[in-house]
Amino acid sequence: MTDMAIETSALAKTYGSKQALEALSLEVPRGEIFGLLGHNGAGKTTTVNILTTLLPASSGTARIAGHDVTTGADRVRRSIGYLPENVHFYDNLTLTENLTFFARLSGVPDPAARIAAALEAVDFTGHGQEKMSSFSKGMRQRAGIAQAILHEPAVLFLDEPTSGLDPQGVAKLREIIISLNQSLGMTVFMNTHLLAEVTKTCTSIGILSSGRLIYQNSVAATLGAFPDQASLEDIYLHIEAGTPS
Amino acid sequence: MTSLITLCGKELRDLSRNRSVRLLILFLAVVVVLSVLVAAADFRTKTADYTSYLAALKASGGAVNAPPPDLFPLQMLRAGMEYLEIVGSLFAVILGYGLIAKEKNNGTLELLFTRPLARHSFAAGKILAALIIWTAVTAALFAVITAALLIAGNAPLTGTDFIRLIIAAGHTIIYLTLWSLAALALAALTRAPATGLVLALVLWLVVVLVIPQIGDTMDPDNQIPGGLFASLQIDKAHEHAVMANFTGYETSRDLIEQASLTKQYERPLFAWLGIKDQYNQQSPAFVWAGTFNHTLWLLAGFAAAAAAALLAGTRDKLLRKA
Amino acid sequence: MSPWAAAVGHELRSAGRERLPQLLLMIFIGMSAASAFIGSAAKATVTEVYNSAAGQGLTNAANPFGNVPPLYYARNTVIYILLIGALLAIVIGVQSAMRDRRARTIDLVLTRLLSPAGYLGAKMTGIGLGLLAVLGASALISVVCISAVTGSIPAPDQLLRLLALFGVAWLFLLFFVALGTLSGLHASSYTTALLVPIVIWSVIIFVLPLLGTAAHPVSLLNPVTPPAAPLTGIFALTGSLTGPLSLGEQFKHVAAILLKDPQATGTMTGGITVILAFLAAGISAVVLTGRTSMRKELHD
Repeated sequence: MTDMAIETSALAKTYGSKQALEALSLEVPRGEIFGLLGHNGAGKTTTVNILTTLLPASSGTARIAGHDVTTGADRVRRSIGYLPENVHFYDNLTLTENLTFFARLSGVPDPAARIAAALEAVDFTGHGQEKMSSFSKGMRQRAGIAQAILHEPAVLFLDEPTSGLDPQGVAKLREIIISLNQSLGMTVFMNTHLLAEVTKTCTSIGILSSGRLIYQNSVAATLGAFPDQASLEDIYLHIEAGTPS
Repeated sequence: MTSLITLCGKELRDLSRNRSVRLLILFLAVVVVLSVLVAAADFRTKTADYTSYLAALKASGGAVNAPPPDLFPLQMLRAGMEYLEIVGSLFAVILGYGLIAKEKNNGTLELLFTRPLARHSFAAGKILAALIIWTAVTAALFAVITAALLIAGNAPLTGTDFIRLIIAAGHTIIYLTLWSLAALALAALTRAPATGLVLALVLWLVVVLVIPQIGDTMDPDNQIPGGLFASLQIDKAHEHAVMANFTGYETSRDLIEQASLTKQYERPLFAWLGIKDQYNQQSPAFVWAGTFNHTLWLLAGFAAAAAAALLAGTRDKLLRKA
Repeated sequence: MSPWAAAVGHELRSAGRERLPQLLLMIFIGMSAASAFIGSAAKATVTEVYNSAAGQGLTNAANPFGNVPPLYYARNTVIYILLIGALLAIVIGVQSAMRDRRARTIDLVLTRLLSPAGYLGAKMTGIGLGLLAVLGASALISVVCISAVTGSIPAPDQLLRLLALFGVAWLFLLFFVALGTLSGLHASSYTTALLVPIVIWSVIIFVLPLLGTAAHPVSLLNPVTPPAAPLTGIFALTGSLTGPLSLGEQFKHVAAILLKDPQATGTMTGGITVILAFLAAGISAVVLTGRTSMRKELHD
């Protein structure tokens, strides 16, 4: 078994004449909370879509938990959990009914036990019988994480997980992500814009710019490598500007 | 197989709680039952007219030679069946579109397709759900229609009548599911499901209304109110003799009508229910011999729609972005 | 250019670029053109059938199609206006109202100088002008096809009647545009927005006439005027209740008189009054839609 949770090699994606992703080679070791940073249109969502098997790559390879996203797509799907940026559910069904449905699709043999565990993990016990239509954005995000971890995936993909949440919601989500990583050993891959959040949550980062990976390192090493920059935000802007020290 | 059943089960639960779907089905039931009540009222009006005509004739000392109006209970279903043909298929289109649109618009497709589903599980689950829904709805509608016939229409139904109703219901299930699957396929194939809906509505308009309307309008007997031959006082036997000289025209007209799957549904339906005079009170073997080719075409249409839905409802087609 | 004129122009431009109404439009114009040829084929066959029957001595009645006026060939167009035209109008109305809600541009519009009523009025005007152009083109195509079938251009009196038919059709279809727009403004989703007016259309065209006269739904698609309603028993009551609401039948009646259908009797006043009443109610309901309703979020 490889030590890498995520490995990509020269991964590329083009839409017509537009190059959305260019020769992305990336390695994320197991147990990391990896933050992929980049401006709007940098290729972050395209990367997540390819890694979660939602989108075929134009060229290059990608492996999740040792399985190729093209030739072993089904094994990849058993190994990942995914929370899209705007998570939606079937509003006519209750939370439990939604989660049961997704658990069964992931081949979970005893959905009830796993749903209880997942709801506990996201601190959401007691909401199972509520209809999704009554949920706020923050509640939906937590329900979204619950659906993503039902089958205890090795890698959790979160696309802009804190987008649209209030400060309390952001703090709660951070607590859940760190707990999932530490207590269940899940590797977390997240796209985000909120750099202050990255400092508090992630163990390593990568920066995408116009479809190219221009930087990758641990958060601690990054903060140490740029002593003259006050925050990760300043470091990010510095790197993006193309003048690494 | 498990994921197919899971998907189908979710779909049925979701649809059964959907207020719009429930309202549509209720509306369909109401118009179909109303049509039976109207037919019963119409029959009573005709009977009352006949009775008063008879009384007036007797009072004036005239001889009675006009026969009383015949009651063939299943013929009262004509308007109701036409509603299923037109309005039912329209609702089937909307239901089929909704099966795909809600997943696309909700963003739940991403949640589904990051699960280990077999290539056709998603579409097959939806197809099975559509078939089950229309089987249940048709069974309920026909049960209500039969009750309306028995109670409001005061119609005596025989054992054969019930078999005819079951066969008509079978045709209806195939016809309505066919429309849902065609709309499902179109909604899956178009990037914006709303485009698929309008394409499906255009298809519905052409197949259900325009083609049959052209065929109907070309029928010489439909050119005069009450019928051309009736206005010329020519009986059925002579009508057939005259029309035998126009086989070329009639064949083209028939081919135009047959291009519409609605006619492939209507012809066996009207034959089994005895709405079409030539099949009224005839044996099942006679009806089958005269209409089985239409039933087979209807089944072929169903198979084509199911295949289109199965092939269109795959991960790569539903998730494509460019 | 005033904000109102700008909104009218914008509506015309936007509606003109949408492919879906274009598709329905092509079918509508194509069927209007085919209508005269379908009528011609039917008429030729009826005459041959009559000659054959008369030749065999089966009838001595006069040929009911002996002297068909040129306007006979436009009869099918009436049905296409009822079916394709009305659906086209509904789709145009729904798309028009949904355009702002889907693009979430309504807040940008409502913070400008135009009131909600002014903006919605401008939208209806824009669509009305577009529809007028479409019907004008259909009228022209009808005249060309009738001329081709009969071998001569219809007389001025007949041309005027044909123009009047398309004029009434404009009023009739504008009601369905208003219905579609209204639904598009209030519905919580695109599906509901399209569904509600189509259900109302099916009730108006297929259900109300049945309740009033026991006419079978499919027979309503035949351009031939149905025999007079059996105003006895329960139908005397239901007919008087549903008759004025059967907008489709009212339009067919007015059209039959305009096209000089020998079976059509009575006047057009009642029919035109009903069509105008429906239109006035529809447009008022659209224009009176409030700011809050216009800003309501879409759920799909």
